[in-house]
Amino acid sequence: MQKLRIIKDRVAQGTMFSLTILSILLVAIIAIGLYLKSAPVLDDKSLWTLLFSSEWRPMKGEFGFLPFIMGTIWVTILAILFSLPISLLTAVYLTEYSKPIVRKFVFPALDILAALPSVVYGVWGVLVIVPWISQHLAPLFVDFSTGYTALAAGIVLGVMVIPLMVSLFVEVFTTVPVELRQASLALGATRWQTAIRVVFRKTLPGIIASVVLAVSRAMGETIAVLMVCGCVIHIPESVLDACYPIPALIANNYGEMLSMPFYESALMFAALILFVVVLIFNLLSRIILYRLEKTEK
Amino acid sequence: MNIAHKKKLKESVAKLFMWTAILIFFGIVASVLWTIFSKGCKAMSWDMVTQLPGGGFYIGKEGGFLNAIVGSLYIVGASTLLGLLISIPVVFFLNVYLKKHSKLAYVSRLAFDVLFGVPSIVYGAFGFTIMIYFGLRASLLGGIIVITLLIIPIFIRTMDEATRNFPRDILEASFALGATRWETLKVVLRQIAPGIATATLLSIGRAIGDAASVMFTAGYTDSIPTSLSQPAATLPLAVFFQLSSPIPEVVDRAYAAALVLTIIVLILSITGRFITNKFSKNKV
Amino acid sequence: MSIEAQNLNVYIKDNHILKDVNIRLPEKQITCIIGPSGCGKSTLLRTFNRLIDSTEGVKIEGKVLVDGQDIIHSGAEITELRRKIGLVSQRPCPLPMSIFGNVAYGCRINRMFKKRKQLIYHVQKNLRDVGLLDEIKGRMHTPAARLSIGQQQRLCLARSLAVQPEYILADEATSALDPISSKTVEDLFVSLKERYTIIMVTHTLRQALRIADNVVFMYLGQVIEAGPAQQVFNHPQEELTQKYLAGAFS
Repeated sequence: MQKLRIIKDRVAQGTMFSLTILSILLVAIIAIGLYLKSAPVLDDKSLWTLLFSSEWRPMKGEFGFLPFIMGTIWVTILAILFSLPISLLTAVYLTEYSKPIVRKFVFPALDILAALPSVVYGVWGVLVIVPWISQHLAPLFVDFSTGYTALAAGIVLGVMVIPLMVSLFVEVFTTVPVELRQASLALGATRWQTAIRVVFRKTLPGIIASVVLAVSRAMGETIAVLMVCGCVIHIPESVLDACYPIPALIANNYGEMLSMPFYESALMFAALILFVVVLIFNLLSRIILYRLEKTEK
Repeated sequence: MNIAHKKKLKESVAKLFMWTAILIFFGIVASVLWTIFSKGCKAMSWDMVTQLPGGGFYIGKEGGFLNAIVGSLYIVGASTLLGLLISIPVVFFLNVYLKKHSKLAYVSRLAFDVLFGVPSIVYGAFGFTIMIYFGLRASLLGGIIVITLLIIPIFIRTMDEATRNFPRDILEASFALGATRWETLKVVLRQIAPGIATATLLSIGRAIGDAASVMFTAGYTDSIPTSLSQPAATLPLAVFFQLSSPIPEVVDRAYAAALVLTIIVLILSITGRFITNKFSKNKV
Repeated sequence: MSIEAQNLNVYIKDNHILKDVNIRLPEKQITCIIGPSGCGKSTLLRTFNRLIDSTEGVKIEGKVLVDGQDIIHSGAEITELRRKIGLVSQRPCPLPMSIFGNVAYGCRINRMFKKRKQLIYHVQKNLRDVGLLDEIKGRMHTPAARLSIGQQQRLCLARSLAVQPEYILADEATSALDPISSKTVEDLFVSLKERYTIIMVTHTLRQALRIADNVVFMYLGQVIEAGPAQQVFNHPQEELTQKYLAGAFS
């Protein structure tokens, strides 16, 4: 009886251990899988050509990813420009001014925003943001725009990362001890001065890490962006140009690529770029955030 | 005195900015919900959620998107079950078998956080490659596998957060009675049940709404799949494909499908918050 | 020039923390507030500079007069009030910046100086006043968190003094320090009373005996007895005070 219990414990431990290791290895497996699949195109072309050429002619076997990389960068920067001020100010208000009534409404609203699926944001973008850009905003600057632009994608993505950013900021700001805030207030500082000069200064690494996390989330977002970005293969020159970020490229072409040589491999390479960048960004920012959490405990 | 005034003015300006930010935030939430609900309610009918697409569905004839609803439920149900089966042992291992500051625990948490950040399109592309390798076509099984991979990190990290706050004394009390760690699992499970519930709701929400990963792996079909090897339609893809149609009736169906999706997700989210609130009240 | 509380009642959520407090604290002297822990000493202190405002669910009734002005209800400029009343808390709490930055912080916040030279001179003067200037020579611009706890506490005092307050509130300012640092800080307070009105919360009776000019004894949110130190210590009027001084409860 006693022996059986101990054996049971051992077996359970072994199973759990292997499950844990297996899940961790998933990171490596994904990386290796994507690399093996993109090896053919990597053998055929130099990394430099793939990343910095803007010639995209799959029929002729030319795969220059620059337009897609630039599209991703444009959209991501616009998304952060849009969401950062809103998220930062909201988070400061929530943590530094903390009116219970505001918290009571903001947090559930954040929950809702975080829960809505990407495709719903896409619908919203198509119905609200795209017409607004083509009818009201774009006519001020250019003759004609369909509204399906980098700006539309940026705004929709920005909205999507707001809940992530706000909750990360709130978490980061609450690691600052109350005594530190009181020390500043007791010297006659206003709450805003305290937030800028003490809280921001103390949590700067955490703020940066949170933004980087939001950036990596924005870069990989697919469906919503695909629905509003316009999908024209060129390097965007203004926010009112259409663009074609990497995730949209993969989603749009994956089904029909089997007939062309190297095409599948090239798309896998696109996924690999995305994976590597997101992996690095995530690792860095998580490590910073862990450290911040630890010093406060 | 002058300086005090200046400080006060600055503070007021800052407050004004913050209020503006919060108003924009609420404006966005309201705009999204209003858009989905107003468009969706107009397009909604009983047939939409009870009928399969009929002949000529995609040129505006009758039918509904029951296929997508059922497909989503199949995939989400199966992958949630699978996800729970895999995640609970891992969470338990991280929190009971490993010491608090173990290297392995640190690396695992980091790995799951990173996996959580991996874009779903990458999961989709990776999953598709694996499927081709094993000779699978786009199918219900493929969708289930990829969605399971997608939600495991969410499961683990959410449950892990709930378990980490769990008092270690209870573990020690259980060990002190001579229970093995495996037997202690039951004690822990009961304690973190609300955490598991919220994690499950969160995962379901993510699983049901994700389109990019099921695009290639589950495929799309007008009928309800009867075996694991048949392709399955999903709600997000029903929205996505029908929205780009030039025919207004078909676009309306996209709105209706978006409404159904939104309502499901809202219910999940509200229930989740309710459980968390209730749980944290009981705790202290 | 004084702090006075009239019929002061403070509630936090449903708890009645301060009950009908009526005291007047004489200027340019050290007043020690004593009493067992949880009697409302710290709350009283934090009401004087309205730091209590940041506590959730707080309600204040009655008046607190600082220099004759009611600070609770008159819509007084709170930051100006806090500048006028320095606070040294229980644990030293250096801001996340250099030693120089810490002392200069309040001056910068309040735009006290136009020229950097004046600011530097002012910071040095205040560091000298707390005896830190020589100890930290050449380390002015290193993070304040690297100082020892005792030095940090003196830095916090210098930081408070740098905004030229009229009052100093000290909340068990020596309880986290080692005996030697504790003595240094205590001596500093004694030397400062010529220029400032000092109100100290202390849980060590000995400290109060050593440095107090006035004593306020509180118990369960009420002021039981207040008056000159000698009178309260040597001839306590109330039975509770006698018991406390005799060490009946702590």
